[in-house]
Amino acid sequence: MNSQSSQIQYIWQYLPLLLQVLAAFGLGIGMVVASWFIGRHRNTKTKLEVYECGIEAVGDARGRFSVRFYMVAMLFILFDVEVVFMMPWAVIYRQLPKITGSQWFGFWEMIVYLGFIAVALFYIVKKGILDWSTDKGDL
Amino acid sequence: MNPQNMPDLIRILPEVVLTITGVLIMLFDAALPATNNRRSLGWLGAVGVTAALWSSLIQLNLPPGTAFYRTVQTDPFSVFFHVLICGIVLASILLSLDALPANQHHRGEYFALMVLGAVGMCLMTSAVELLVVFIALEISSISTYILAGFRKHTGTGPEAAIKYFLLGSFATGFLLYGVALTFGATGTTQINDIAAHIPAASSQLVLAAFALLMVGVLFKVSAAPFHVWTPDVYQGAPSPVVALMSTAPKAAAFALLIRLLYSSFPVLQPVWQPMLWIVAVLSMTVGNLAALRQKNVKRMLAYSSIAHAGYLLAAFAGLGINAIASASFYVAAYAAMNVGIFAVLSIAAGPDEKLSVIEDFRGFLFRAPLLGTLLIFFLASLIGIPFTAGFFGKFYSFATAIHGGAVWLGIIGLLNSGVAAAYYLGFAVKVAQPPAAGSAKLPAPELGVAVGLSLALATTATLVLGIAPTRFLSAAQSGATSFLPPVISDSVKPSTDVPDLSKVRWVR
Amino acid sequence: MSIWLFLLFSILKVAVVTAIFLGGVAYTVLLERKVVGRIQNRWGPSRVGPFGLWQPMVDGLKLFLKEDFIPAGVYRPLYLTAPLIALGCSLLSIAVVPFGSQDITVHGVKVFELADLNIGLLVLLGVTSMSIYGIALAGWSSNNKYSLLGSLRSSAQMISYELALGLSLVGVVLRTGSFSLADIVKAQSAHGALSWNILGGGQIIAFLIYITAAYAETNRAPFDLPEAETELVAGYHTEYSSMKFAMFFMAEYGNMITVSCVATLLFFGGWNSPFGHLFPEPQNIVIQALLALFWFIIKVFFFLFLYIWVRGTLPRFRYDQLMGFGWRYLLPIAMLNIVGTSLVLSALMANS
Repeated sequence: MNSQSSQIQYIWQYLPLLLQVLAAFGLGIGMVVASWFIGRHRNTKTKLEVYECGIEAVGDARGRFSVRFYMVAMLFILFDVEVVFMMPWAVIYRQLPKITGSQWFGFWEMIVYLGFIAVALFYIVKKGILDWSTDKGDL
Repeated sequence: MNPQNMPDLIRILPEVVLTITGVLIMLFDAALPATNNRRSLGWLGAVGVTAALWSSLIQLNLPPGTAFYRTVQTDPFSVFFHVLICGIVLASILLSLDALPANQHHRGEYFALMVLGAVGMCLMTSAVELLVVFIALEISSISTYILAGFRKHTGTGPEAAIKYFLLGSFATGFLLYGVALTFGATGTTQINDIAAHIPAASSQLVLAAFALLMVGVLFKVSAAPFHVWTPDVYQGAPSPVVALMSTAPKAAAFALLIRLLYSSFPVLQPVWQPMLWIVAVLSMTVGNLAALRQKNVKRMLAYSSIAHAGYLLAAFAGLGINAIASASFYVAAYAAMNVGIFAVLSIAAGPDEKLSVIEDFRGFLFRAPLLGTLLIFFLASLIGIPFTAGFFGKFYSFATAIHGGAVWLGIIGLLNSGVAAAYYLGFAVKVAQPPAAGSAKLPAPELGVAVGLSLALATTATLVLGIAPTRFLSAAQSGATSFLPPVISDSVKPSTDVPDLSKVRWVR
Repeated sequence: MSIWLFLLFSILKVAVVTAIFLGGVAYTVLLERKVVGRIQNRWGPSRVGPFGLWQPMVDGLKLFLKEDFIPAGVYRPLYLTAPLIALGCSLLSIAVVPFGSQDITVHGVKVFELADLNIGLLVLLGVTSMSIYGIALAGWSSNNKYSLLGSLRSSAQMISYELALGLSLVGVVLRTGSFSLADIVKAQSAHGALSWNILGGGQIIAFLIYITAAYAETNRAPFDLPEAETELVAGYHTEYSSMKFAMFFMAEYGNMITVSCVATLLFFGGWNSPFGHLFPEPQNIVIQALLALFWFIIKVFFFLFLYIWVRGTLPRFRYDQLMGFGWRYLLPIAMLNIVGTSLVLSALMANS
């Protein structure tokens, strides 16, 4: 924030972001709608079928799929939360000695935290959750 | 870490010890080859829990006080519950060492979950910041949700886990909403500070917050309108897990209840006292009447645990220290006998839980004399026969209620105990009957070292609490005194009409 | 300054930036086709206009005029929103990127940045992770097994690498103490290339992690499994035609540009000259601005070229290798990088 823009309230700095949202999605919608009206439409039954390299599609595509994807999704949530927690710590890290009154407190806190994360990572690796090529995983 | 933080660390030492133990178990479990026996991990857990128990006793050397920016508070009250919870978890781990099936899936995680659950339960009793309470509650709940579903190849195991999980998270949602409203009404979530802010707050908002908090807590103690999950969960969960989760999370939840009632919302006593009376009467009656009709042993004990929650809540009819002390004592007594009875059941029924209905236990005394005697002993304690823990628990609870002016509550409690005696005695008689002629001869269950230790722990506790309760009662009382300023004592006569607010407001 | 003037400037900036961005997307496609062509010892597009310069325009027009049909089995609401989300997130992420000197203002409005947010980096992370929805929904709603497989692979891959990506940024944030991209660039301006995060900031490991993870995030070679042509037809956009297909295409190249911009800002000193104050600064403010813009564009161009170079050189990963690499190597290394960075920072602070 420089001094010149301080005349505008901070919240207004989000206005261009909002405008960009409108522009981005408006552009997208506009393109789709325009091309829908410009292009010809000549539908046949075969044309509307699922394209699976010319082989007739068997069954529905929205069936069951490997449980590993769920495992990855769950692990992602856990570890992403970890990243989120680390962000504010990183921003304030240089002020931490002043806030806590101790030179190394912030560092050790994060070491303990990362230690737990590392244990979790070790655990999931050892349990074979990330072994995609073998079926030995302890799912 | 600088030295001035060390007392802070000591105030959470049991939790630290338990966390390290749990993480170590997890690590070793992952590092050990899959074919390796996981028994050693159970022993590691037992050692860790014992260490946590000792380290919570160390906290008695410190003056009562808070740590970590007033989020946790250690005082004799929290130490009492720490010791109790660690004892329960220790007994359950020892029990699981022998009572789990040899091919138990995820055996290592089982012990890790027990220890990590204990972290949450212990933290719940010492946390004095509602957000920390919430985190602790989640730690303990999530562990027990998973533990409840450990018999995952049976039909009832996953059912128990899912039911417990869905209802439990729903109730936790209530609690969290209550925390939010509390913050909205009073501007603080520090349990000890809330009371001071209540007079200035909007009374409707405070009442709503209080009600939501109570829903969350009463669900965890499985008191009457929030009890429906109990039978299904107890039936589906493995017996050693039931021994843990019918006692330890309840103890923690009662500790939280006491903290909330006496530290945060003493002003609302005219509101919560009648409410707890109603809940107590409902819990006793519903629990006992439903238990009468049960054929399945674990379902019967589940309903009886609802009834016991009712007996316990009756203590809150009393005022001041006595209510806290007798409630704490009851929790300890109930934990001792319930862990004991589920230990016997686990051993008797075997890892596959073959003996499930009461009829199966016919002639058990002849088949296994020692276990049969213990079973009858624990049943006697549950009935409340003198020289057992159950007797003094009920005695103190009802005495407090009558002393507090709720004579009718005491009478209802006594009547209910009579009803309860019917089904407990029915079970005991079945155990003592000679086996039916022509029935298949079942081998006597084996007693391992670990489970022997566990049974010895439970039996000793039940006996000591029943014969020489003074020591424990004084521990509970010192817990209670640490809780309240010494001004409020037994001598304050509770009045039946609305008490003078200025006198009742005990702000720490 | 009145809010209306601010609004007017903002609308102008949005229009100009979006137009340039889309133009950049179009010519990145041409650049890729040209460079990959040369790598493969052929010419690439050369017929339409001088050096094939009109090729992207004509391609765009062709896609625009093509028949847009919706297959019978799709779940229409999601099928239609998916390309919108993909393109929208791609266009949106450029909004917080500052691309020129922050000292240049007109009536107090910064010329070279759309939105001057102090949480720019977080917005960027949030918006890029939103773009997973576009791909996941496209694959699922298409009712095509190839699409579903492609989108599942892609979602798992993107979320796995997002962790490493997020962690690699922590080191940069540690050094700067701010989420504002402009501040991060300012922190690297002291001694030319020596104070860039990649050199003076000691973030070279973080940079390598970032660039690897970003390649996976944008589904580019060698991590282009979602659209592995040899296995999955075209992956998640198999069932898309005409402009909707083009939107996925544009989103991918737009993301490439954003990633290049962010890599430039975070690790390569943004618009700062690599020579620092070795040469005297020009007095004219316009030349200063153009010089800053020049350095920025050069660096972004370098990263775009790197993208294409990598695509032309490296073979595709196998899926289990891809996931294993992300979780077992990138993630722990990123964590170690954080430990190292904070350790050094603490030591430096203790000395000073």
